[in-house]
This record gives sequence, structure tokens and C-alpha cells, in this order.
Amino acid sequence: MPRIRPFTFWLARKKISPQAARLLFVCRDLLSAANELRWIREHVNTTPSKIPPNLRLHQLCSKRARGTPLQYLLGTQPFGDLEILCRPGVLIPRPETECYTIELAALIKRNLPKHKPLNVLDICTGTGCIALQLYASLTPHFPTHIQAIDISPVAISLAQRNLSHNIQLGNLISPPPQLTPILTPNTKSTVSFTLLSLFSPALLTTLSSHPPDVIVSNPPYISNKAFSTTTSRSVRNHEPRLALVPEHDDISLELNCQPEDVFYARILHLAKELKGCTRVILFEVADMEQAGRVVRLVERDEVLRGWYDVVEIWRDWPDEEHEDHIVKGEESNVAVAVKGIGEGRVVYLWNSRGGEMEGKR
Amino acid sequence: MIAALWVCRSCARSLRRVGVSQFIRKVSAATASTLPPALLQRARKVAAEHEKLSAELATSSSYDEKAARRIGEIAGVAAALRELEKTKESLAELNGLLESDDAELRELAKDDLEATNSQLEALERNLSVALTPKHPFADMHCLLEIRPGPGGTEGRFFADSLFKMYTSYCANKNYRTRIVKYEKSDGDGQTSSEGEAALQEAVIEVQEDGAYNMFRGEAGMHRVQRVPSTEKTGRTHTSAVAVWVLPSFPENGAGSEAESEWDNPESDFYIDPAEVRSEKMRAGGAGGQHVNKTESAIRLTHIPTGTTVSMQDSRSQHVNRRDAWRLLRSRIAQQRREAREEQARLMRNSVLSQSQITRGDKIRTYQYQQDRCTDHRSGADFHNLPDILEGGETLEKVMRSSQGWFVERDIQALIAEEMVKDAESKARK
Ligand SMILES: C[S@@+](CC[C@H](N)C(=O)[O-])C[C@H]1O[C@@H](n2cnc3c(N)ncnc32)[C@H](O)[C@@H]1O
Repeated sequence: MPRIRPFTFWLARKKISPQAARLLFVCRDLLSAANELRWIREHVNTTPSKIPPNLRLHQLCSKRARGTPLQYLLGTQPFGDLEILCRPGVLIPRPETECYTIELAALIKRNLPKHKPLNVLDICTGTGCIALQLYASLTPHFPTHIQAIDISPVAISLAQRNLSHNIQLGNLISPPPQLTPILTPNTKSTVSFTLLSLFSPALLTTLSSHPPDVIVSNPPYISNKAFSTTTSRSVRNHEPRLALVPEHDDISLELNCQPEDVFYARILHLAKELKGCTRVILFEVADMEQAGRVVRLVERDEVLRGWYDVVEIWRDWPDEEHEDHIVKGEESNVAVAVKGIGEGRVVYLWNSRGGEMEGKR
Repeated sequence: MIAALWVCRSCARSLRRVGVSQFIRKVSAATASTLPPALLQRARKVAAEHEKLSAELATSSSYDEKAARRIGEIAGVAAALRELEKTKESLAELNGLLESDDAELRELAKDDLEATNSQLEALERNLSVALTPKHPFADMHCLLEIRPGPGGTEGRFFADSLFKMYTSYCANKNYRTRIVKYEKSDGDGQTSSEGEAALQEAVIEVQEDGAYNMFRGEAGMHRVQRVPSTEKTGRTHTSAVAVWVLPSFPENGAGSEAESEWDNPESDFYIDPAEVRSEKMRAGGAGGQHVNKTESAIRLTHIPTGTTVSMQDSRSQHVNRRDAWRLLRSRIAQQRREAREEQARLMRNSVLSQSQITRGDKIRTYQYQQDRCTDHRSGADFHNLPDILEGGETLEKVMRSSQGWFVERDIQALIAEEMVKDAESKARK
């Protein structure tokens, strides 16, 4: 990380305040230090507390300066149309995730038949941000059934709170009360959060009665090496490792992939078992390299390659300056369109001939 | 007897007609009420059109929406003309009475005459106003952008005062507002002794129908003259703050209207997304799960005009982007409108050139030592600066005075236009 110039500290102390100078340790530049200080102030001024405001401001700034993520201190992160509650133990939603989720919703609206029930599966839901934003965007257009799973009980209960929190705020319409967490395509729209591992055998049985049309997943994807090198200290010290680094080396051997790719390999395997009923699969990935590897996982499998005829890589901001690049797959020599600007962030698979599949089903 | 009387009255009238017109000329010189013949002629034409259309609409079997809308537009002119002519008639009557043999009657007439004359003046003005075309953005909500001029912190402090002035004014008037942007320079540490922050840029959205019309007179440079708290020698400083007034669409409710305007290439608010460069002010390097940054700033650049908008108030990138787009659309629409006005001005530059305002023009001065606010366009001085800065009734008076100036300008433009038309049609004959 580049060193912060002493002059910048001087500026922050003189022009803003000593608090801002301290925030520089985590914010790295003046503008975001000033912004964070403002948001902390607003938080102090708008939320009740027994602690006197000045003391509270001081406490929050010290915690922030020592690396606690702002979202844990303020308790929320805006995400699309929603306000997502954030608590230690559950990964904070990232802006890149927000950006592709909105893009994905727009694509689903454009490409899938309207008014037919739509089943969505969010694997590794965390705060529930992706599931809830898709619910918000899609319910006006489809009877939408969203099922989200996570292995962490803290995450599942937070996701559930996020549902009621956003209903309370008027950001979401309340889904009808549910008796079972299983998808129920005959009612209007539903959301459910289930404590379940991707690697649990129970998952397939749950899904095969109502196979998902869309699978979206932001699974742990950081390699052990990247965790100790390119992952920032604040993330390492404050966010749960379970959410970041996959540790299923035995399964990755079995699925013949790198350890950090094991969730993708497993989900693709699941898609195969679901007989291609799933029209859209979207993965968040670490970088262009991992995106390339995931594309190859698809291309090396004849069946998957046949179903998912549209394969795209999206960068961090797929909505911007759509410069379409082409990357050649190493072994299969396939051309892949790359959308947007930034680092490789998403692998998007689309079964454009879904009609036939639906007939078979 | 009857015949004689008839002849007599007719004679009297024709005689009096000369007198009346002389009298009116005298009166109008005294009250400065002058309705140029060109305007009166125009009003008569419009009123005739109104009558014709109304008659057609009443007899036709089908409903002609276009005609109905036109009737609505010009009904004001027809009514104002009718009022004016009624008053002129009674004026003529009154003047007739002045020549009556009955002394008491003459007295009564004299009493009424003055009131009727001033009424005439007001009615002439009404008619002029009714004739001037409505500004295309008049009914819309508006954005008030406040930015200090170049120079030191003094201008930034005063910018904050203007920000407070407009927000309090809106609060006093019970107008719905939203602070779209409030950016202090270099963070938020500094304050003046008056409790002003060093404001870099602020944008207030006034969410009232017709807000654009109410505030459009506020656009321009606002100059402040005072001794800054930091000034040790007691010297008076002069600084300036720019206020821009932009049209804006209501956020929701009429959202469909806004969206259709945004997608319509004919509209002033239309922007081709391909012509906008959008940047997220995030440092490069790893993203995704590896880092947890909080930057949410967005900057948009409209490439053809070089207009840039940056927004970072919200923690949500989504919200910052939406607000940035709205502001960009409003700015571009305003620029397009101004460009058209400029073109129109060039076409008939004789009359309008002196009264055209541009962004650089100073429109108002706030003089603290003398407790005075001068509106440079209306030329009026106002006292009670504290009440003005608190958005009180005095501010309302100041704003009215510049609105009045606008109306006057529009009337002048209209007269010029009519005179040009008149000259052209005479030349053709
Ligand atoms: C990177 S977080 C993603 C959270 C959320 N979807 C988002 O985008 O902000 C990964 C999540 O996967 C969950 N997870 C880890 N192992 C899992 C497994 N075997 N099955 C299901 N979820 C798992 C973690 O608890 C964590 O909440």
C-alpha cells in the first residue's frame, strides 16, 4: 500500500479536523476521509444513544481508524433500493455486487418470459443482499420465488432480519407468510432463507421438485495466498474468513479444480444434475484469471457447453462504457465477450434456447 | 324633441371624443401608463381568435383537443382585454359626466375618475403580462445550485449564508425541499464567526409546481460586502457567489412524465447515454471481497458540452448516480434553453441586449455595514438584512422585485417583436 504523505496528514488536520487525520489511516485519501467523517457525524446526530454525541463521535472515529469497517459501526450499507443491516460475523455487501445484481435483474426482465413463475436460487447469501434486491426488482414482473441458502446461522438470521427491516422501511412488499421454506410456485411471490450447505446432499432433493431458473452466487473465492497478500487488513481482521476463503480441498480434488474454485465447480455440477433447466447462472469471481478458469470449467464439459451457449465475463462495472473485449479460452479456443470496466468480476452463463428445455420439463 | 335630443347627444359625443382622448393622454403621462398600440392590436387579434375558436367548439359535434388547449392558453388575454375595454368605456362615461351641468354629478365623477385611472394602469399591465409567452419551464420544480465565486473562504462562507437563506425561505413558505448536495470545502472543520461553513457547492431541490418560475429571478451573481471576521484591519471585502436555477422533474408520481421526457430526443432533457462518460472515483487495485472501501462518488461528463457533475453525498453509489444524472439533465436543459434565448436575442438584439442576463452578471448586493440589499435589475434597495438572510418576508419582497423585472423584460421583448412584425407587414404591402 502506498505510504500516505505527511503533507496529507497536515492538510487533513488543518483543513478538516484531527478526527479526519486519524481516519486517513484507513481511508487513504482526504476526500473519503472527509466523507466518512460526515457520515459518522450524521449517524451520531440521527440515532439515539445514551453516550454524549462528542464522546460517541470520538469513539466511532477511533474504532474506524483502527480498521473496523464503517458499515459495522453504522450498522447498515445501502444496496440498490435497499438498506442492508450489517453485523460482525457476516460479510458486508460490496458495491461491485450491487452493480451486477441490478444488471442481472434487468437482463432477467428482458430475457425470461413475463408472468410465468420465476425460481431464483442464491447460494451463499450472507446478508441476503442479492436475494432481496432481486426480489425487489423482479416481483413487479414475475411471480418470483427466491430461495437463498448459507451455511452460517448468523448470516441466515441477519438475512431474515433484512427482509423484515426493508419491509418496514417500505422498500419491499411483504411476501405472504410461509409455512415451509420450500419453493411454492402456486402462490404469488416468496422469499426464503435456509440454513444449508452447498455441499449438503439435501440441497439437490430440495431443488429438484422446483428447479431454479436462475442461480446466482457470490461464494468464498479468495485463495489462501491471496488472503495473506492482496486482502486488506480491515477485511482480514474484521470480516469472517468463512465468507472469504473456501476450505474444501478434498472436494476440489474430487471435482478436479483449484481449491479456490471449488464452489463454482460444485454449482456447475449441480446445474448438470438439474438437467439444464436453469437458464441463467451468475458467479462473482476474484479477478480475470479466476474468470478464465471458470469459463474453462464450463467449456471442458460437453453437456454444459451445449446448454450455456452465451458465456460472458463482466468487469467490476458492467453498466459502463461497454467496451467489448474478447478473451480466448486457453484449451477450447472459445471467444468470450467481456463487458464493462475494471477488474474481472462476474462469469455469466445464459441458456438462450431455454424454450426446448422448458418443453422437456 | 326626441329627435333634437338625439342629435344633441350625438354632437356632444363627437365633440367629447376629442376631449377624452386628450384627457387620457394627459392622464397616461401622469401615471406612466402606456400600452403600446402594437400590443393592443395583438391583443385584439388574439381575442378575436378566442371568440372564433370558442364559437366553433360550441357548435362542432366532435371535441377538438388542440383547439380546446389553445382556448385555454389565450382565455387570459381575452378576459384581460374585456376588462380593459370595460374600464375604458366607463372612463369615457365619467369624462362625459365631467361636462355635466349638474355640479354634484361632476364632483362624483371626479372622485371616481382617479380610481378608475389607476385601475386602467393595472389592467393594461395585466393584459401585457397575459400576452407574454409563458416560460416553458415555468410550472416545473427547480434545483438551486449555489457556488462560491473564485477567491478566498469569505465567498464560501457567504455561500453557506445563501444556502441557509433559501432553505429557511422554503421552510417559512412550507415548500417541500430536498438537499441534493451539500459539500463543504476541505471537509467540514472551518466555520466563520457567524457560524457559516465553508461551502463548496450546494444543490437544493424545491419540490413545488411552479418553483422554477418563483426562483428563476435568483439566478446570477450575488455579491457580498462586509468585514470578514478574520479581517484585522476592518477592511470591507467584496466576494461573490453564483446561484444557478435549473428546471427539474418531480422524482416520483409524475415519474412517468420525466422518463418519457428523458427518452424523447426532442426534449431539452434528453441526453444520449453514449455521450456521457461516467467515472467512479475509486482507486484502482483489487476490489470485490478483498477490500472494503466506502467510496461511492460518481462523476459524469457530458462530452459534447464538457459539463461535469460529481456527487458523493450518499453512501450509496446507486443514489449518487441517480442524483448526478438528474443534475446533469437539468443543467443541459438549462443550457439548451439559454442557447435558444441567446439566438432569439441575436435576432432582435436592439431591445433585449441591455436586459439579457448571463451567469456572470451581478444581480444583487448584500451590504452588511449599511444593512442593505440591492437588487440591481429592479434597482430597488431593501433594508433589514437579517430578515432577508433568514428567508423572511423581506426576501420575498426582494424576489418579487426581480420577478417583476423579468415580467417587464418579457413585455419589452413582446413589444419589440410586435413592432418588428408590424414593420415587416407594412414593408410587404
Ligand atoms: C462472500 S460471502 C457472500 C455474501 C453475500 N452473497 C454478498 O454478496 O454480500 C460468502 C457466504 O458464503 C457462506 N458460505 C461459506 N461456505 C458455505 C457453504 N459450504 N454453503 C453455503 N454457504 C457457505 C458464508 O457464510 C458467506 O456468508
